[in-house]
Amino acid sequence: MQDLRKSMALHDHDRERIENARSSSLANVHSGITRRSLLRAAVIGSGLALAGIRPAHTADQPAVHLPFERGYRPLVAFPQKRPLMLMTIRPPQLETPFHLFNDRIFTPNDAFFVRWHLANIPTTVDPATFRLRVHGHVERSLTLSLADLRTQFEEVELAAVCQCAGNSRGFFEPRVPGGQWGHGAMGNARWTGVRLRDILDRAGVKPGAVQVRFDGLDRPVAEGTPDFRKSLNVEDVMNEHVLLAYAMNGEPLPLLNGFPLRLVVPGWYATYWVKMLNDIEVLNTADEGFWMTHAYRLPADPCRCIEPGQRPARTVPIGRMPVRSFITNLDRGARIPSGKPFVVKGIAFDQGYGIDRVLFSTDGGTHWQRATLGHDYGDFSFRQWKARFVPKTGHTYALQCLAINRIGESQRFSARWNPGGYLRHAVETVQVEAM
Amino acid sequence: MLHATNHRIGRFVLWATLSVSSFAHVAMAEPPNTPVSIVLPSDRMGFQPGPGREVAAGFCTICHSADYIYMQPPHAPETWEEIVRKMQRAFGCPIPDDRISTLVAYLVSQNTVQPIPALTHTDSPPSSRHSGNMNMAQGKVIYETYCRNCHGSTGKGDGPIGRALVPRAADLTATVKSDAELLHIIQGGKPGTAMPAWKGELSSDDMRAVLTYIRSLARK
Repeated sequence: MQDLRKSMALHDHDRERIENARSSSLANVHSGITRRSLLRAAVIGSGLALAGIRPAHTADQPAVHLPFERGYRPLVAFPQKRPLMLMTIRPPQLETPFHLFNDRIFTPNDAFFVRWHLANIPTTVDPATFRLRVHGHVERSLTLSLADLRTQFEEVELAAVCQCAGNSRGFFEPRVPGGQWGHGAMGNARWTGVRLRDILDRAGVKPGAVQVRFDGLDRPVAEGTPDFRKSLNVEDVMNEHVLLAYAMNGEPLPLLNGFPLRLVVPGWYATYWVKMLNDIEVLNTADEGFWMTHAYRLPADPCRCIEPGQRPARTVPIGRMPVRSFITNLDRGARIPSGKPFVVKGIAFDQGYGIDRVLFSTDGGTHWQRATLGHDYGDFSFRQWKARFVPKTGHTYALQCLAINRIGESQRFSARWNPGGYLRHAVETVQVEAM
Repeated sequence: MLHATNHRIGRFVLWATLSVSSFAHVAMAEPPNTPVSIVLPSDRMGFQPGPGREVAAGFCTICHSADYIYMQPPHAPETWEEIVRKMQRAFGCPIPDDRISTLVAYLVSQNTVQPIPALTHTDSPPSSRHSGNMNMAQGKVIYETYCRNCHGSTGKGDGPIGRALVPRAADLTATVKSDAELLHIIQGGKPGTAMPAWKGELSSDDMRAVLTYIRSLARK
């Protein structure tokens, strides 16, 4: 059982380890997925050699340096994952290298970010014996197998962005404690599953129901740690969009993304997208649990912000995602050719109204031009955009993009601060130089 | 690819992506009905030397790896204390009040360090040459510093932390594991449990010594 573990770190024993993985992979395979990830480890290893990167302990370790203090993130392959930016080992938190958002509108499963709160993550899940329990303030409790979900309810597919509440926390000024993500704690996928509403209708939600609480198979390590459970108001889940997904991008979820079943709450931050979902409880009072009352909270002020360093008197749970956009084909400090049109590409998304337009500026927001939007994959999906300009030799450009959704909400020009480091949606600047 | 700073990475990942995509993917027509298993990397003891390291190693790594600390921006002592208190009160960290100032001072001392996670130590197994009574005293000191909080002073897995773990800390007096197996766990940790990898913290001789002491507990 050593092999996957051994292939995680790309250091100096890499090739030996990959050989180990190859030679003993059959003995360790529990599913096709696992086998594939072993193959990937092997492929990536030879890729290293071909690309001429010398694996070593430190300086040459494939890594991304996020542009803030302590932003070194080695690229490490976890099971069923390609090498991703390692933020923490246990519980695992992995960030998607940002340029991958330029390659495809749907983030590949093996590149999708990973974030767990509790270290007791089941490392074996049997879909044949897995059961989803629905109980609480309902007419009849249900116990459903995955086969029940697939055969007794209508299957739905929907494209939606899953974004961590703390995405981009590392860019907060002043800095705040918490997971120090760059912009890559998000992803866009086609989610396949059944509507939560249909399940709840089958159970029969009783009058007086207030919230629905979701729990997954993950558990705390220490006795005193509150189990990770999240709740949503009944009126926010009884719609056609909230899904129990058993597939993303046409394949089973990677275990680290919540195999075999994950709550999908389009437009809402990922904290509500409970992974390995096996328990749904309808409540007739508001959830008083730690993860609702003490974590993932924003200042109650309408701006959801506060003066840096201050403490909000009142807080509210985080909810839907404000509109955001990014440039995806240029990193800061990039040098671009001059004298001919250059195409800048990017993505935009919001909480589900859909993107109306994206504006693009080359001079830090003084002048704006309208970008061309790409194919519309649905109101909850990334929307690609592109814009052209002709760079002049020797000039430096402060590139910005600004998205506006269909109800006229736009990004902010300056970032607002809150102590949790949530909800960043300011206009980002990418400085480039024309050669 | 116009990622100036990540140029090599970009090329590497792009290459890997293209290659991987040539593998056939399983269609979703047939949902998986066999168990899916993964092996997560074990926690590597990444806390760097300094006064108070044993407190961080003993308590913080119950629930999370050391990189949770090393990714943080530098925090003021008051902020670190607030974080530690939150771990104690909200998350049930069994750290006693009288160890908190030591831990906070250690965390402050680590503010400007960024060790390379998981890559600082080799995997060569500890040598088993130096066994014997000579190691017993050394092993006892190591055991009481690093192991006792979980495994208990008698080794039965009933230390103040060990009792609170899920699964509980192992009863070392009842183990049927060989020396090699135990050394392997001490060195690399045990996935799915709170047992971290000690290879970054303890030398091969240290691990060998503590094993000698652990074996003596079973005979008591």
